[in-house]
Amino acid sequence: MNEHSQPAISATGATAPGRAGPKAERLVIEGLRLAFGANEVLKGVDLVIEPGEFFAFLGPSGSGKSTLLRAIAGFGPKPSGRILIGEEEITDEPPWKRNVGMVFQSYALWPHMTVWKNVAFGLEERGMRRSEIAPRVRRALELVGLAEFADRRPSQLSGGQQQRVALARTLVVEPRVLLLDEPLSNLDANLRVQVRRELKQLQRQLGITTIFVTHDQEEANTTSDRMAVLNDGLIQQVGAPVELYDRPANLFVATFLGSANLIEGEVLADGGRRLFSGRGGFRFPVAAAEPEGRAHALFRPQIVHLGGNPAGGDSNEFFTFSGRVVRAEFLGMLVRYGVEVAGIELLVDEPHEPDRPVLPEGAEVTGRILTRQIRILRG
Amino acid sequence: MSVRAMRWVALAALGLAQAWSPSLSAQEIGDKLVVVTSFPKDLTNVFKEAFEKKYPGMTVEMLKKKTTAGVKYIQETASNNTSDIFWASAPDAFEVLKGDGLLAKYEVKATGIPDKVGVFPINDPDGYYKGFAASGYGFMWNTRYLKAKKLPEPAEWEDLAKPVYFGHVGMSAPSRSGTTHLTVETVLQGLGWEDGWALWKRIGGNLKTVTERSFGVPSGVNSGDFGIGIVIDFFGFSSKASGYPVEFRYPSTTTLVPANIAIVANAPHPEAAAAFIEFVLSPEGQRLLLDPKIRRLPVRPEIYAEAPDLPNPFEGDIGASVAFDVKKSKARYNLVNSLFDVMITYRLDDLQAATKALQDAEAALAAKPNEEAAKLVARGWELVAALPIDEAKSLDPEFAGVFKKKRKKATDKVTGRQAEVEQEWDDFVRANYAEAKALAEQALAMVR
Amino acid sequence: MIFAGRGQWGAFGTGGFVLLVLLVFLVIPVGKVIYVAFQQPDTGAFTLVNFLDFFNTSLFRESFYNSLYVAAMSVVVASLIAIPLAYFTTRFRFGAAALLQTLGVIPLIMPPFVGAVAMQMIFGANGSINLLLDEYFGFTIPFMEGLNGVILVQAIHYFPFILINLSASLANIDRSVEESAQNLGSYGFRLFRRIVFPLAMPGYVAGAALVFLKVFDDLGTPLLLNVNNMLAPQAYLRISSIGITDPMGYVISVILVAFSLFSLWLSYFVTRGRDYASLEKGGGGLGKRDLGTWGRLGAWLVILIILLIVLTPHIGLLLLSFGTIWSFSVLPDAYTLAHYREVFSTAMPYITNTLIYAGLAALFDVILATAIAYLVWRTGIPGRQILDYLGTAAVAVPGVVLGIGYLRVFHDFQVPFVDKPLASWWVIIVVALMIRRLPYALRACTAALQQVSIALEEAALNLGAGRFRTVHRIVVPLMAGGIMAGFVTSFATAAVELSATIMLVSAESDAPVAYGIYVYMQTAAGRGPGAALGVLAVLLVGIATYLSHRFVERSREVEEADRRLAVAQGA
Repeated sequence: MNEHSQPAISATGATAPGRAGPKAERLVIEGLRLAFGANEVLKGVDLVIEPGEFFAFLGPSGSGKSTLLRAIAGFGPKPSGRILIGEEEITDEPPWKRNVGMVFQSYALWPHMTVWKNVAFGLEERGMRRSEIAPRVRRALELVGLAEFADRRPSQLSGGQQQRVALARTLVVEPRVLLLDEPLSNLDANLRVQVRRELKQLQRQLGITTIFVTHDQEEANTTSDRMAVLNDGLIQQVGAPVELYDRPANLFVATFLGSANLIEGEVLADGGRRLFSGRGGFRFPVAAAEPEGRAHALFRPQIVHLGGNPAGGDSNEFFTFSGRVVRAEFLGMLVRYGVEVAGIELLVDEPHEPDRPVLPEGAEVTGRILTRQIRILRG
Repeated sequence: MSVRAMRWVALAALGLAQAWSPSLSAQEIGDKLVVVTSFPKDLTNVFKEAFEKKYPGMTVEMLKKKTTAGVKYIQETASNNTSDIFWASAPDAFEVLKGDGLLAKYEVKATGIPDKVGVFPINDPDGYYKGFAASGYGFMWNTRYLKAKKLPEPAEWEDLAKPVYFGHVGMSAPSRSGTTHLTVETVLQGLGWEDGWALWKRIGGNLKTVTERSFGVPSGVNSGDFGIGIVIDFFGFSSKASGYPVEFRYPSTTTLVPANIAIVANAPHPEAAAAFIEFVLSPEGQRLLLDPKIRRLPVRPEIYAEAPDLPNPFEGDIGASVAFDVKKSKARYNLVNSLFDVMITYRLDDLQAATKALQDAEAALAAKPNEEAAKLVARGWELVAALPIDEAKSLDPEFAGVFKKKRKKATDKVTGRQAEVEQEWDDFVRANYAEAKALAEQALAMVR
Repeated sequence: MIFAGRGQWGAFGTGGFVLLVLLVFLVIPVGKVIYVAFQQPDTGAFTLVNFLDFFNTSLFRESFYNSLYVAAMSVVVASLIAIPLAYFTTRFRFGAAALLQTLGVIPLIMPPFVGAVAMQMIFGANGSINLLLDEYFGFTIPFMEGLNGVILVQAIHYFPFILINLSASLANIDRSVEESAQNLGSYGFRLFRRIVFPLAMPGYVAGAALVFLKVFDDLGTPLLLNVNNMLAPQAYLRISSIGITDPMGYVISVILVAFSLFSLWLSYFVTRGRDYASLEKGGGGLGKRDLGTWGRLGAWLVILIILLIVLTPHIGLLLLSFGTIWSFSVLPDAYTLAHYREVFSTAMPYITNTLIYAGLAALFDVILATAIAYLVWRTGIPGRQILDYLGTAAVAVPGVVLGIGYLRVFHDFQVPFVDKPLASWWVIIVVALMIRRLPYALRACTAALQQVSIALEEAALNLGAGRFRTVHRIVVPLMAGGIMAGFVTSFATAAVELSATIMLVSAESDAPVAYGIYVYMQTAAGRGPGAALGVLAVLLVGIATYLSHRFVERSREVEEADRRLAVAQGA
């Protein structure tokens, strides 16, 4: 079976993107703390996930994102704080009474049962009649395009197919919230893109409140309506992907979400204005509202432009510099340069075009940055 | 797949358990009898079948334990007794149970059984246990073994002490086998405490092994593991009857003692128990003893007419010369067991080494006499024979009490603990054996 | 710590029940027996003086040393047998690997006392081999003299523990580990010594510890070989002697139990954190190589010699069962079927009883073991480790001690409706077998549970299955292979157990086959019928073991095939 020839998830009757489905629920987490023995893994998490949202937990390994997801499902040590679905508090409910659907990273398909049996399991546990179970299982398998695999064993399926079974098994019980634990991590790179689109499409279609755990920012960016970046057991920032990328709340979020240039320095008063002064001769005006004190200047590599003299505009609008290329990495759609400027190395992304040669190492260059695109971060 | 199989196994097991439940058999009085016995199945099966045939509907349970374990079993289960009859050889075992109040008195209705076999009263004078067959002690040997090793046939206990039998003799220990205890005690009473033990140690030095059960002795002789075994007569008779190349002989110092049967106190089926005893003692039951696999001496003299090949104890075929004193035997029962184990069973290696050295020295002396060396050897034998306690002490109830745990009264005084006493004996015995061996080696060196 | 705090009541209930079973049928009876060791002989007051006596008695010190020596040497000899068998069957492509593995397990299912009788006929001072040696070469070898005999019999009987555990460890080693060593230039015996064996070490140590322990505690073999100067026989002789209730027997029991527990702990301590084998999963075990012609011949020769030694008890038993008179001769005088006729006409109840007792005991064992494994590894109830410790500690309790304990504790307990004391009801034999064999089942079930990913259970809980339903529908089916293995081990070894049952059989109609063999062997008329019964028992349990082996192998092959198919499809 060729993975790519499989029908994509049928999108008939999809509701509008971002709209809550008829049974979508709000998920509220208040002051959640959780420890493995002496090791505190969640240190006070507050979060509201709106009905029908596709929400991502993003963070490095050990950040607590999976623990948080498992706590919502009722796994792991007993936490303090509260978890509510809609108006109902589920903090002390055992996992089997929560009706929170979870798709496991390893899929956790039961190898001793056929695909059909796997999917029917949850309905059987709910005491549903056989005659009612059959059409629902069939519909769920059709939804993920695996109707003809019903009699196979999980070991006879490919990774992608296994994941669809896991999804069907979870969705068939119509959970109040859908939890996906690193759902794409066990798939081939080229399959991931396809599956994440399908996932998003399916979520839109069903309108179910969905949480998605990942350590891959591209996955989070492309699928989620909003996301929470976690580090060290705390939520660092919550917001839409673009918002977090462009306006990170702190250094961690800034560096975790894509490459960034960070210049250490301080904000100084200069008459009525405020100036940022940092290493490498970085000195440029900032908004008057910026408080004085130690700070970092943050700018993404793609807002740095190389070449020529500063083309017009006054020096307040642009910060200009000259330096030397110490590294050039050809990445296909762009070239990432390392440019040494007064003892510090700047990352500079230049879009690649066919008639534009890659600068050699050692080349002397000049460059400019639009200063209003530079973000000042405290700490 | 595997799940189904598991379930199948489980169901099958449960199904079988339901279909077959041994505990569901009816338990009305009169159709069941539980016998605790040390006898082999060749004996018990014959009686069981005959008895069940005589009383249709009767089921006899033969619970086989070796004598010591049987006594233990009846003691441990006394508070809620389920056994009807205790059936074994050694009168001592019955004495122990009687002493603990675990036997019931019974008056035998059958007549025609003499009061004594040899000098031994057939029945317990107090009326608790009855003799149903006589047994004498002696030795059996494997004819193929003796021929292959060019050994003479032994005739008397003293023969077994001869150097020629070194490493060819097997016996059980009195602490493990009631019949062996009787044998040991018989010799002790027949030759006297000192000479009796001296002989046992000479024989002990020739032992290849001390078997764990009395049955281990005929088994070892039958298979040819060792050539000569000290056994109760029927082991010899039945082995021979089964076709093994073995012979049995009574030495002149022996005693015939009855093998016994008794009703256990608070027996659940007293009527059946009484019927069984009467059956065993009837001519019909006595005749069963002549079965080739049983071959025990009946206590009814008239039966011997039917078995001319069996020695008839009532006509003095067997030189039962020792007047066996049951009271004496009982008084020092555990002490003798313990003493035998400390001096022979557990120190067999040391005893063998000393014996071997002394025998070698004697052999060398025979070829080349040397008075001084002869003195050393004699001294060596004395050391081997030396005893840590004398007969008077062995009969001292206070001292013997060390070997019993259950005190009748809190005021019963005991000095020392068994482990302490045994350690003292062990030190004594080991030092003597080692010294005897050294003397023998010294003597041998002088002769060379 | 997995689902701590939520929905624990079922776990508490189950744990409480298991604890109750272990307390009533293990802790209390054993405690009642060994308590005597701490009593003043004359007053009954608490004292440690008996232990002082133990260490002051040279006989006991010697016995202790002998037990230690025999146990250690048995491990050495058993290793010499087990390592080549395990290595050749797991490492090379061998036509008869399954057969070899089964034959290798056969010794376990013969009661050691039966094996000792047969070995005596072959290896004894005047056994077949020495008679031949004496006739043709004029010398004999004391294979069976004193401690040698015990070591030989024990090693041959118990080496399968090493074989099984070592084979399992070898099978779990990832092929890539070995390949990377080869890639770095290691090969042959060096490769085995430096890479393979260290990785298989935990399995080896587990097996060796078990052998050590069983030999250290074993009673039947030294008794049958008339070796008295060892601890277990000393304890038994002193406990079962007429009239005496010498506390030393109980002191020795305490020391046996304590020392066994200590060696268990030691083996755990040594292997702790070294169970590398399971870290690298999915490689499908060591690569199996084909042997060249000479290699094949050599390997077969080694294996045949080992098998011949290992199967000596069985050969001896067969000869005994068909022979008429076998006395001071190389082979029996003539052959007959009479013994089998006798056994078939009179001894079948023993076989039926054994199937029921061992079957029920093994069934309860896997149920208890699954419950304990689950409680310990999958719940957070406090004190859950105690269940594991108790269940494992049963291996350190000599059968005699358990048997006497049952008699003491349960004799006054009248079973309702049956109207018999519990101690003389046949069910008590099942209970004793269950407790005695629980450690084997516990080990198998724990290993099986550890191989079931927790996510598979969480998925079921997540889909609304309660804890009990999850265990029933997911955990148990996935553990089936391991549970089956535990069942077979418990069943096969329970079927030949004697030391506890001999104390507890209260009616011959309730007796199992090991007791039957014992009784049939106790006759001066010859051991033929006993041997015939022994052969039947070995065949019966052997066939059962082989079938389940095949069954487990087959289901493993099916799964493997499934996976390969899936891989091919995905490509």
